[in-house]
Amino acid sequence: MAKTKDKIKYGLLRLIDLSGFKIFDPPVRLIFGEDPQKQIRDIAKFMVLPIIFLTICIWIWHVVAPTHKTKSGAVPTPKKVLVAYSENSRYGEREQEKVKDFELTGELRIARIAEVEVKLVELEKEAAEKQEVSAKASKEGAAIIQSQIAPLKIQLSQLKGEVKIAKQERKTALETLAAKVAAKEESADAILTLVKQQALTTAAEKERKKTLEAQIKGIRDDPPESIKAAQLAANKVEDEIQHYKKRLDILNGNKEVRKAALLAKVSEAKAELAATADPEVVLAKSKAVLTNSKNADGIEAQKFAPNATIAWQTKRSLATVFVGFFIAAAVAIPLGIMCGLNRIVMACLTPIISIFRPVSPVVWLLIFQIIVGAFFLPDPAKHPLFVTLNSTYWFGWIKNPIAFLNTNPAMIFSACTVAMCALWPALVNTALGVSAIDKDHLNVARVLKLGFWSRLFKIIIPSALPLVFAGLRISLGVGWMVLIAAEALSSSDGLGKFVWDEYQNGSSQSFANIFLACFIVGIIGFFLDRIMIILQKLVSFDDGSATA
Amino acid sequence: MARPRRNTNPAMSYLEIDHVDVSFGPISDRTHVLSDIHLSVEENEFVAVIGFSGAGKSTLMSLLCGLQKPTKGEVRMDGNIIKEPGPDLGMMFQNYSLLPWLTVNENIRLAVKTVFPKLSKKEITEKIAHYVEMVKLSHAGDKLPHELSGGMRQRASLARTLSLDPKVLLLDEPLSALDALTRSELQEQILNIWEKEKRTVVMITNDVDEAVLMADRIVPLTMGPSATLADAYPVNMARPRDHHTLNDHPEFKRLKTEITSYMMGLNKEARAISKDVVPMPNVRPKDFSPPTAAPRLKNKVSQPTSAA
Ligand SMILES: Nc1ncnc2c1ncn2[C@@H]1O[C@H](COP(=O)(O)OP(=O)(O)OP(=O)(O)O)[C@@H](O)[C@H]1O
Ligand SMILES: [Mg+2]
Repeated sequence: MAKTKDKIKYGLLRLIDLSGFKIFDPPVRLIFGEDPQKQIRDIAKFMVLPIIFLTICIWIWHVVAPTHKTKSGAVPTPKKVLVAYSENSRYGEREQEKVKDFELTGELRIARIAEVEVKLVELEKEAAEKQEVSAKASKEGAAIIQSQIAPLKIQLSQLKGEVKIAKQERKTALETLAAKVAAKEESADAILTLVKQQALTTAAEKERKKTLEAQIKGIRDDPPESIKAAQLAANKVEDEIQHYKKRLDILNGNKEVRKAALLAKVSEAKAELAATADPEVVLAKSKAVLTNSKNADGIEAQKFAPNATIAWQTKRSLATVFVGFFIAAAVAIPLGIMCGLNRIVMACLTPIISIFRPVSPVVWLLIFQIIVGAFFLPDPAKHPLFVTLNSTYWFGWIKNPIAFLNTNPAMIFSACTVAMCALWPALVNTALGVSAIDKDHLNVARVLKLGFWSRLFKIIIPSALPLVFAGLRISLGVGWMVLIAAEALSSSDGLGKFVWDEYQNGSSQSFANIFLACFIVGIIGFFLDRIMIILQKLVSFDDGSATA
Repeated sequence: MARPRRNTNPAMSYLEIDHVDVSFGPISDRTHVLSDIHLSVEENEFVAVIGFSGAGKSTLMSLLCGLQKPTKGEVRMDGNIIKEPGPDLGMMFQNYSLLPWLTVNENIRLAVKTVFPKLSKKEITEKIAHYVEMVKLSHAGDKLPHELSGGMRQRASLARTLSLDPKVLLLDEPLSALDALTRSELQEQILNIWEKEKRTVVMITNDVDEAVLMADRIVPLTMGPSATLADAYPVNMARPRDHHTLNDHPEFKRLKTEITSYMMGLNKEARAISKDVVPMPNVRPKDFSPPTAAPRLKNKVSQPTSAA
């Protein structure tokens, strides 16, 4: 009993160690009752304090963000980013619902239509309520605004009156002085001073007027939160209604319906074909039968094309980064091994590595767009590569698992850019790992008289593997970072494009979306790195984790 | 002192180092490690080489197994110049040279599989088990080298060398990291293999007792640089030699004192030479530290404070 408990404990601890989440070590030990005082101290130090720190950071964000106004509204607060997350996931759900609705058949479709209709009635009721609330809120809000503005307006009109009078007075003063100067009773300097003085007063008056006006405008433009919230709630329901209406449209004209319509046309045409005696009609109807039945078959392969959701963009980014990463690994590892084995190869490749490594991904992207783009001319959509990658079925019966990615040339360019930038760390590290092999290990190979290939695979590669994986880890990190930029620039669908589109969009909601994307990119990057750390630990033999 | 004569038999020996020099580094800054080495080992002979640390014993071994090319002279086995290492010259490295990503069993399997490609899987497994059992590592066969103690690694390395079934066993301090008990057991194992399967063995050791117990002939290596082999001491004691009663054996006592005093003499000589080369000034370095109040203060504080 105690033994199995220990086994579970050490298994868990080993897992924690392997995955690098060291902070979970004390709680696990605490659960198994090992030196509770020390564990609690460790938890306080390494879990509670960091959590408090993060909370403080988020709080500062929460406080500081709204104070900075930008052209696309205030900087989003943590709450707004969370709202953006939930809205994006609802958006994703909607697209999924539409895709499913398009495929529904028979009884299920009828039942779904009924469901949607019921929901629509409910929603319309809710919308009316929300609308009312919103109208009330905006009325109240307007009253509040009015009450806030009213004193300012009075001030403003007072100011205007005062200014008018002051202006008149100044004018007369100036005119009298001018007359005196003309009569040589006063010096010319006096009038110059007066003009200067008066210009200053005028400016000051204008300034006061401007500030007041700005205050009024500020209050008008920034309605109370209650109005905004009520309006948002109303809009949300309105959105939902739009969605359900759209669903109804899709359900009433989905795959099954379309196919049935076409088949009806076919049978109608067939019937007419059988009935007619006119050769021209025969010709026309037989054509109609053929095209319609062909179209009916074609519908089977049709799919509802959903809008780009953030989940889909994420998947596409991941697919692109892995394509690029594997290209990089496939090139870098063999080249690195050759470099490490042979000083001449190393000397040949060193200039290339040194010159191309510092080149910016942006430059690579442009170069690939031109060079690789040439292969896909004249019509990329008809290029066999994309036709294959995007067809629903391969060889007519294997369901294509990557059809949903909608591969296009931009994705290939981004992948190539990722590969180009991710190549170098893997290459350099592999070369280093191979050339730094322990002489003792080579001596073993010499004593055993291993041939070239067994020396390579039994001695050199295993001993270089930890460094190779260290290189691959850096490569994947670099690749992920480069990818987002490449996607933004090449508008290849993915998180980078998502950010770019939101930036172009420029509303306050899209600002929150950019923050959301920032977190998604960061979290995915973190997990990619973790995966590579685990792989690296699995192949390294110097620490205890190699056997795990 | 009756010094034994060096073996100068002109007839071809089985393993022969023929007037060999070994130097390292560029001509301008050359270290002569071994100079004018001459050693003939007969077939099935057991030769022990003893010498001080850094004298060049391991270099001598590399020479014998073909890992190190002589700067001058020739190394021959069976009349043929040794051009490259091979499994016939079974070298056990001083630093074990186990492959760290393979377990003990896998390390041995790699060796056995390469040297005996025709064996079936079962035979290979049996062979591995046999040698692992011999060095008493059966319980640790699935461990990686970094999970083993120094002595266990040494035994694993010995097992791997023995598993090659080499014609010549070249053992570089094979038992140095072991406790006395394990050590004497393994000494017996090596002697067993040597006697039963008739091998030629060259063993390096820094333990005179071990050398006398095991070897037919003991060859001292003089101090480096430019170390060379001194005249050999033949061990004329009947086998099997029992290490329990060995201490009382008059021949053992004689050899031990003789070799020990010879080695001590080498050491003294070497020290005398190094003294001549670098005369150390017999002056104490001046105290450059500035006079500070701190030490005195400390002294004062450390005085009994009862007066205060
Ligand atoms: N590859 C090399 N390049 C330069 N000098 C070397 C090289 N190999 C050995 N030496 C030098 O040769 C001398 C002898 O080395 P060696 O390893 O043979 O000593 P050793 O007698 O085996 O010592 P120990 O008993 O400590 O193992 C040392 O001074 C060492 O610095
Ligand atoms: Mg040595």
